Amino acid sequence: MSREKAFMFGYSQKRLFLAQELGYNLMGFAIIVNNKEAYEKALLDGYSNVKLLDITDDVALEKLPIEDNDYLICVMDDHHLNVFLTLSLHALFPQAVVVALSDSPHTTQKLKMAGASKIIDLYQVSANRIHNILHKPVATKLVEQLLSSDEDFSFKEMTIPKGSSLDGIMVDDFDFTQHGVILVGMIDKRLSNQFIFITSGLENRFDIGDTLVCIGYNKDLKQFEEYMAT
Amino acid sequence: MLINLITKFAFFLNGSKKYKRFKELASNFLQNQDYRYKKYFDIFMISLIVVSITILVYEVKHTVPVWMDFFDIYVVTVIFTVEYLARLWVFNDWHILVVKEYGESQFLNRKFSLWKPTKLALKGKVEYFFSPTAIIDLLAILPAYRPLRVLRIFVLFRVFKLLRYTKSINQFLSVLSSKKFELFTLLFLLLFITITAGIAIYVFEEQKNDNINSLFDALYWALITISTVGYGDISPVTIEGRVVSMAIIVTGIAMISFVTSVIVSAFSEKLTELKENRIVEEINKNEEFMIICGYGQMTRMFLKHYAKEYNRRYIVIDNNREKVEEAIKEGYSAIHEDASRHDVIAKFNTDYAKITLLALTGSDIANIYITLNAKALSTHIRVITRASTDKIAKKCKLAGADSVVMPSLIANRMLFSAITQPVMYKAIYAILTGQHLAQLDEVNILYHQKLVGKKLDELHFKEHKLLCIGLQVGHSGKFIFNPPMRLHLQEEDILLVMGRKVSIEHFKTIYEEIKYV
Repeated sequence: MSREKAFMFGYSQKRLFLAQELGYNLMGFAIIVNNKEAYEKALLDGYSNVKLLDITDDVALEKLPIEDNDYLICVMDDHHLNVFLTLSLHALFPQAVVVALSDSPHTTQKLKMAGASKIIDLYQVSANRIHNILHKPVATKLVEQLLSSDEDFSFKEMTIPKGSSLDGIMVDDFDFTQHGVILVGMIDKRLSNQFIFITSGLENRFDIGDTLVCIGYNKDLKQFEEYMAT
Repeated sequence: MLINLITKFAFFLNGSKKYKRFKELASNFLQNQDYRYKKYFDIFMISLIVVSITILVYEVKHTVPVWMDFFDIYVVTVIFTVEYLARLWVFNDWHILVVKEYGESQFLNRKFSLWKPTKLALKGKVEYFFSPTAIIDLLAILPAYRPLRVLRIFVLFRVFKLLRYTKSINQFLSVLSSKKFELFTLLFLLLFITITAGIAIYVFEEQKNDNINSLFDALYWALITISTVGYGDISPVTIEGRVVSMAIIVTGIAMISFVTSVIVSAFSEKLTELKENRIVEEINKNEEFMIICGYGQMTRMFLKHYAKEYNRRYIVIDNNREKVEEAIKEGYSAIHEDASRHDVIAKFNTDYAKITLLALTGSDIANIYITLNAKALSTHIRVITRASTDKIAKKCKLAGADSVVMPSLIANRMLFSAITQPVMYKAIYAILTGQHLAQLDEVNILYHQKLVGKKLDELHFKEHKLLCIGLQVGHSGKFIFNPPMRLHLQEEDILLVMGRKVSIEHFKTIYEEIKYV
């Protein structure tokens, strides 16, 4: 379970999966809605931490127990309201991470300007998916499997802990194949906080605190994480 | 005995695949507008017609060289004759009728009569024989008969023959035929006024006007006047005659305006339909194309990013006129139709082209219906359907969709990754959106023959700055994640690699891409 806390603004049938996964995986999860219908539906679906409030009212928003680095997920069905909410939340809680859903490039631009840290364009990712299905069916199937929580293998990000045997080893010198996992990329703290793909050609070194993103079978990933800790 | 032999022959034709293929090929060249190579046949025939007309017109005042005469008599005429006979041949199938009649006779225990199916087949051939286009074809052969110079006038029929091969003239005629009633009414009115005015001028001026000696002269004058041409060779000399002239001039102007407006309105009504038919014809010329149903946000996004890649090999269909206009304004090929209608999808060349259909309307019901419609027409059409929920996705699969895209599911997964594993999210996002710095791509071994038989170890992925993610084994379709480097590549395998776009392209170039069409 992750230590993060998240507030999801908006709730509908479409967000059922997201709410389920977040509720299950995060330390704290709350749903904020602005209409009674959604409020009742969320309660009916078994969520206890649901609040009904006027999200255009800054005073009401300010009273929410939002702290620095909390995730604020803006998934209102009305995209105008979503942009407005993003702007309000960014103004009220500048240290929180605002993640928003967009439905067009214009909305994406507005959400960026409103201060969203991460924006997912619903239709852009779908359009890309269609293109990938047409041109890279095998790759698309793999990515779908990696993203699905039901599959045996997945993506995983791991941080190199203190005392790890990986500390100080050059990436090229380490053989991942014996662990059955593939290193896709990493954040090399020594260089920057940017994610670097392993295929970018840079020479990196593993250090404590670096974050690695690997693909593999869940059991191999788990074993590798344990190995890293030794 | 003879009947037996003929019947056996009909059965032989019915069972012969070669004969069927040959007849189908001939039929495609002669009458299938969607056949890819028909245009070459049409161009060839148009060229022949133009050459033969040129020769015949030149011959009026000049002596043509012997070879030219030979070409016109033997080459052009023989080709026209063969074409005429071939059209007669493909018009219907005698052997099918014989086989059918034989089967029915056996079933009903009645005496088999060869005459009955033969009569039916002949009836069909006669029907074709007397069709306007067949008459034109036949008359177009006649100018070649040199001893009768009067037959040269039939050169005109070679011009008419062009109608068969030029769509725009046919379209013009079809537009006019849509206003048949109005045009015929006007024609009768014109005849009535011309005859009335002709008789009137004949009665008033036959004795006084030297140029009007018969009723024909009077009718000729009336027609020339009413059409506002007015040659001036005949003009009225009496007051009564001039009054008649004035009346029919005014009527003539009104009628011409009326005819013009009827034709213009016919064209404006049909213009969009004609344009859309042209778009469908153009797209049908491709061996592979895409039909996108619904011009919503997802289609917009898809075309915004990939329209160039598909290089006009796509068509958007929407049942909302405003959306179609919007799509056209944005530079996309679009038509206003309802894709859930059978005849709309049937317009496309489903027999010969490789078609991918994207059902991307905002309605799940419409998408499922479109999927069923496409699959009912041809199972070869590849269908990708948009669905809003899991349950709908299952229904889409049941309807035959090859793939289902659920925008909300994809977005939810992305949102979830962005929160729980933000670093991983960046990687996935880059891969999913196909950014240049990291792509997940497929190397089809079939197109990279140099890779056949190679051991994965020999491909030095690290040196090429690539990651070998997996391998789909050709025969079984089994996917091996993180394959062992000792594996050898086979012809039908697909290798999955990850790397920068430039690295993947370089790798593919090294191992020589040979595309099999």
